[in-house]
Amino acid sequence: MLLIDKLCYRSRLRYVNASEKLLYAAATLIICIVSRSAATAVPVFLVNLALTVGKGGIPLSRYLRLLLIPAAFLAAGTAAVAVNLSETPMDAFAFPVGGWYITGSTEGARQALTLCLTAMAAVSCLYFLALNTVMTDILGALRKWKVPALLVELMLLIYRFIFVLAGTASAIRTSQVSRLGNRNLKTGVRSFGAMASSLFILALKRSNALYDAMESRCYDGTICVLSKEQPAKGTGIAAILFYEAALLFIWALAHRYAGV
Amino acid sequence: MPKKQKFLLRAYIVFAAMFVVAPASNAMHIMEGYLPAGYCVAWGAVCLPFLAAGFFSLRSKIKENRRNLILIAMSGAFIFVISSLKIPSVTASCSHMTGTGLGAILFGPCSVSILGLLVLVFQAVLLAHGGLTTLGANTFSMAIAGPLVSFGIYRLCCRTKVNHRAGIFLAAFAGDLFTYCVTSVQLALAHPSEAGGVAASTVKFLGVFAPTQLPLAVIEGILTVVIVIGLETYAGPELRAIGFVDRRKEA
Repeated sequence: MLLIDKLCYRSRLRYVNASEKLLYAAATLIICIVSRSAATAVPVFLVNLALTVGKGGIPLSRYLRLLLIPAAFLAAGTAAVAVNLSETPMDAFAFPVGGWYITGSTEGARQALTLCLTAMAAVSCLYFLALNTVMTDILGALRKWKVPALLVELMLLIYRFIFVLAGTASAIRTSQVSRLGNRNLKTGVRSFGAMASSLFILALKRSNALYDAMESRCYDGTICVLSKEQPAKGTGIAAILFYEAALLFIWALAHRYAGV
Repeated sequence: MPKKQKFLLRAYIVFAAMFVVAPASNAMHIMEGYLPAGYCVAWGAVCLPFLAAGFFSLRSKIKENRRNLILIAMSGAFIFVISSLKIPSVTASCSHMTGTGLGAILFGPCSVSILGLLVLVFQAVLLAHGGLTTLGANTFSMAIAGPLVSFGIYRLCCRTKVNHRAGIFLAAFAGDLFTYCVTSVQLALAHPSEAGGVAASTVKFLGVFAPTQLPLAVIEGILTVVIVIGLETYAGPELRAIGFVDRRKEA
C-alpha cells in the first residue's frame, strides 16, 4: 500500500551500507540548500536520477510520477514568490487590475526559478534515500549514531504498526466502497469517520494483545533483532567525499565566474 | 486579445492544470529544499524545547507502565495511517487529513509534539510529503502550533459548556487553519516579497493556499467530530485508558 516502501525493497542499491547512503543523501542535501544555485542543483538532480533509476533500477515512469507529489506545492509556492501585487509596475511583466498591478521583476523570476531547481534537486536527494534504503536499515544506522534508544524503539514499533493498521484500514475501505459507502460527500464523510473510529479501537485492542504476547516472551523494554551487517566500504566513502568536493568546486566556480 | 493577456491566460491555465495533474498532498507540508538553510536550523531550534518536554513526559509515562510504549507507538501509527488515506473532498484533487486536531484532543499536546515529529519523518520518507530539511518548520506548524491551538480551544469550549461536538469541530477546524497560517508565515519569512516585504508575502501565500486549505479545514473538523462520536459510542474504556475522558472531566 505504500508505494515507496514497496519500491525500496526491490532496489538494487538496497544492500549498500545504510550509513553510506545516509551520509551521501544528507551531505548532498546540505550542499543543495546552502548553495541555492542552479550550478549545483542541476548536476545533483541528474546524478540522483542516474543513481536511483539507472543503478537502483526504480522504473522511470514510477520515479517521474513520484516527482509530481510535491508539484502542486511547488506551483503554488513559486507563483507566490514570483508574482507580486503592487501599486507600481516592475520590469518583467505588469498587468493592471483596477488601480494596482499584478507584476513581477526579472530578479524575482530568476529567484523563483533557482528556488524550483533547488527544491527539485533536494527532493531527488530525499528520493534517493527513500527509494534505496529500507526503513529498518535507516533505524539501524540511527541506532549506531546514538539517537536516543527510546525514539528508535518507538520508530521501529510505529513502522511495524503502520502496516498492521494500513491493512485493516484498506480492508474496511474496500468493504465500504463495495457497499456504496462513498456514493456522495455525506456518506463518504460518514464512512471515513466510522472507519477511523473502528480503526482506533482495533489499534488499541491489538496493542494490548501485542504487549501481552511480548511480555510473555520476556520483553524488557528493548527489541533485539539480528541485522545483516553490510560493512561500510572505504572506496564508497571516498567516492562520496570526492563527489561532494566536486560539487563544492562547481559551486565555487559558478559563483566566481557566473555569479549564480 | 492583447499579447500580455494571452500570456497571463496561458500561465493561469498551466497553474490550474498543475492542481489537476498532481496527486496533490494538500496537507500543508513545506516541501524538501524550499527553505534556506538558516531557516531550517532556526525552526528546528524553536521546536527543541517543546520536543524535549514531550520526550521527558513520554519517558516518565513509559517508566510508569511499560504498556504505554506500545500504546503510544500504536497512536503514532494511527495518526500516520489516518493522514495517509484519501478523504472525501469537495474539490476533485485528493486530499489528506493532518490529524493534528484529532491527535491533540485524544492524546494531549505534549505527547503529540514528539509523535508528530516521528510521523512527519515517516511521511517524508514513505510518502514524500514534506522533507528532511524542512522537518523543523513542519514540526513547529503541524505538531506544535496546530495541536496547541486545538487543545486550547477544546479546553475552553469544555469549560464554557459549549456543545461538546461544536467544541470538537471548532478545535479541529481552528487547529488546521492555524497550521496553514503558520506555514504561510514560515514561507513568507523565508521568501519575503520584493514589494511590501514579509507582510505582503504572507498575504500572498495565504491567498495561494486558501482554495485548497479552507474546504479542507472544514472537512477535517467534520471528520474529527464523526470520529470522536464513533469513539465515544464504542470505545469508552479505551478512551479512559488514554486519559481522554479524564481530561474532559477535569476541564
